[in-house]
Amino acid sequence: MFAYVARRIMTTIPLLLVGTFIVYALTASVANPLAKLATCTTCDQAAFDRIIDLYNLDDPIPVRYGKWMLGAATGDMGQAPSQGNFDVFPLVMERMANTAQLAIPAFLIIAVLAIALGVFSAVNQYSKSDYFVTGFSFVGISMPTFFFALVLQVIFGVWWQDWFDAKPFYVSQMHMGSIVDIIRSHTLPILTLVLVITAAESRFERASMLEVINSDYIRTARAKGLPRWRVILKHGLRNAMIPLVTIWAIDFAALLGGSVVTETIFSWPGLGPLLLDGIFQGDLNLTMGIVMLIAMLVIFFNLIADLVYGMLDPRIRYE
Amino acid sequence: MSEQLRPDQAPATSEDAAPRVGTIDSQPATTAPAQDVIVDEREGISFTTRSFGRQTWDRFRRHKVAMFAAALLILLAISFWVAPVLSPYGFRDIDVAAMRQGPSIAHPFGTDQIGRDLMVRTFHGGRFSLRIALVVALLTTLIGTIIGSIAGYFGGVVDTLLSQVINLFLIVPALVVLLVVGVRYGASPNGIAIILAFLLWPGIARVVRGLFLQYREQEFVLAAKAAGARAPRIIVRHILPNTFGPIIVNATLLIGTAIILESTLSFLGVGVTPPTPTLGNLVNEAKGAIDSRPSTILIPGGFVVLIALCVNFLGDGLRDALDPTTRKG
Repeated sequence: MFAYVARRIMTTIPLLLVGTFIVYALTASVANPLAKLATCTTCDQAAFDRIIDLYNLDDPIPVRYGKWMLGAATGDMGQAPSQGNFDVFPLVMERMANTAQLAIPAFLIIAVLAIALGVFSAVNQYSKSDYFVTGFSFVGISMPTFFFALVLQVIFGVWWQDWFDAKPFYVSQMHMGSIVDIIRSHTLPILTLVLVITAAESRFERASMLEVINSDYIRTARAKGLPRWRVILKHGLRNAMIPLVTIWAIDFAALLGGSVVTETIFSWPGLGPLLLDGIFQGDLNLTMGIVMLIAMLVIFFNLIADLVYGMLDPRIRYE
Repeated sequence: MSEQLRPDQAPATSEDAAPRVGTIDSQPATTAPAQDVIVDEREGISFTTRSFGRQTWDRFRRHKVAMFAAALLILLAISFWVAPVLSPYGFRDIDVAAMRQGPSIAHPFGTDQIGRDLMVRTFHGGRFSLRIALVVALLTTLIGTIIGSIAGYFGGVVDTLLSQVINLFLIVPALVVLLVVGVRYGASPNGIAIILAFLLWPGIARVVRGLFLQYREQEFVLAAKAAGARAPRIIVRHILPNTFGPIIVNATLLIGTAIILESTLSFLGVGVTPPTPTLGNLVNEAKGAIDSRPSTILIPGGFVVLIALCVNFLGDGLRDALDPTTRKG
């Protein structure tokens, strides 16, 4: 298995390099770190030189990418001029901790809810409750995240402001004082993430569960006289979860990488707004630092997903 | 991620749920309308023939939610194109005497901060958003089908390349690429459409590739090869028609994905440049008024949800009608 993990990591490294290079080249061709200085009347040549030096602007893009990558490999991702010249790496780590406060609870709720709704819906196929759950997921799938977040803002930020202490586009809404503070500040953003992702995942789980409960071995288990729920939960669920694990890996990586829309609307000091800042202000080091982190998260959780397959389905072997 | 945006089943009404599984292709002759009955005199049997289109329509018609969604979508599209013509206001007309108004008879959706009529802007926005979504769906389907069919039929290098590109799209966050490119090129509606199509094509390419892998091993392809048909002819004339069902379903669902992505981009401020209205732009412009006039956010946003919902239900009905084999359960 260690050989498998090692091989998987080796094969993703070229992919990671190509992917980050594309982002670097795109961002570098769009961003102009000197733009701000162009209108600055008091700036002298030294200021230009400093920026040129900071970004190695006198090198061609591939060379600049190489220099950045060599630095990143040793843990030095440079400074972020758009954030007061803070070092990128500690800044990104700090923001990721804030994002994780939303991502981890949201993911746990999503995982439980998606399985519960999917299994319930599949077992009661074509019943009234199935239609209800299906209707809910269609609405969730059709709802852009920004719109649901704004609806929540209108309800709890404008009409009933006392409940969750939410104010639209207010500076940092993250409060950590007491349990009540945490509930008041964390609930709405988590709810946004949960609705949108659960809707999609529960559809997926329903389809996968339907396929499983119509298969022969489930009929055999029932024919042996095992209780219905035992068959569904013990024999069925384990197999119905295999496709979901892939989706979980993608979604959890995406959640930890920062949800740009949700965090922006709820003024959450996470990775999402930081990334937006980096892109809008043409801050190459910052953008690259976050992209790098997201890419690593995706690779890591996909690897975990592949290993979990083996636990769920003993037929899969890693040679 | 594309699977998540592609719900595979919709609520069907309970009375048509039971027979649907069994009556996929043929119906007993006794229930068929008279003009469809062909009587073979020598054998003494009669059977019905229904064209593929007719069968599809019959299956689709039973899906009442999808029928309703299709009707609503057509109605929305017509109103987007007709309503602005009938309105006395233009979508760029500024009226400083009527700034920041709530809904009234003169302005049913109110006016924005420089006095533009929001109803005209919303319908115009719907027109732009819908047009972008349609272009995205067409372009994405075209690119995805071409690449997917080549990769699926020939395998080898193209196929490896395709799967690596799909992995690449997984690693590089789509939103980052969208934002970075959007900041630079996202000015025109067509520009946005091209960016979105470039990002979405791997999903449909994977579907087409899977179908081609499956069909290329079948006898009719072998027969075509034996008859001397060359690869392009086999791909276009023999295999491609078999994949139309899933392709049309995916293209339909893409309209929903595109309209959500476009409005999100516009909301973040990197979509179509104002003052051109799109539904996302309207929400973005109105977000400052969230505490005074929330309706200015809820109306255009609600249209996005309504369109996406209709498209998703329509796509689901089409899946049942065009692609009965993928129906699970």
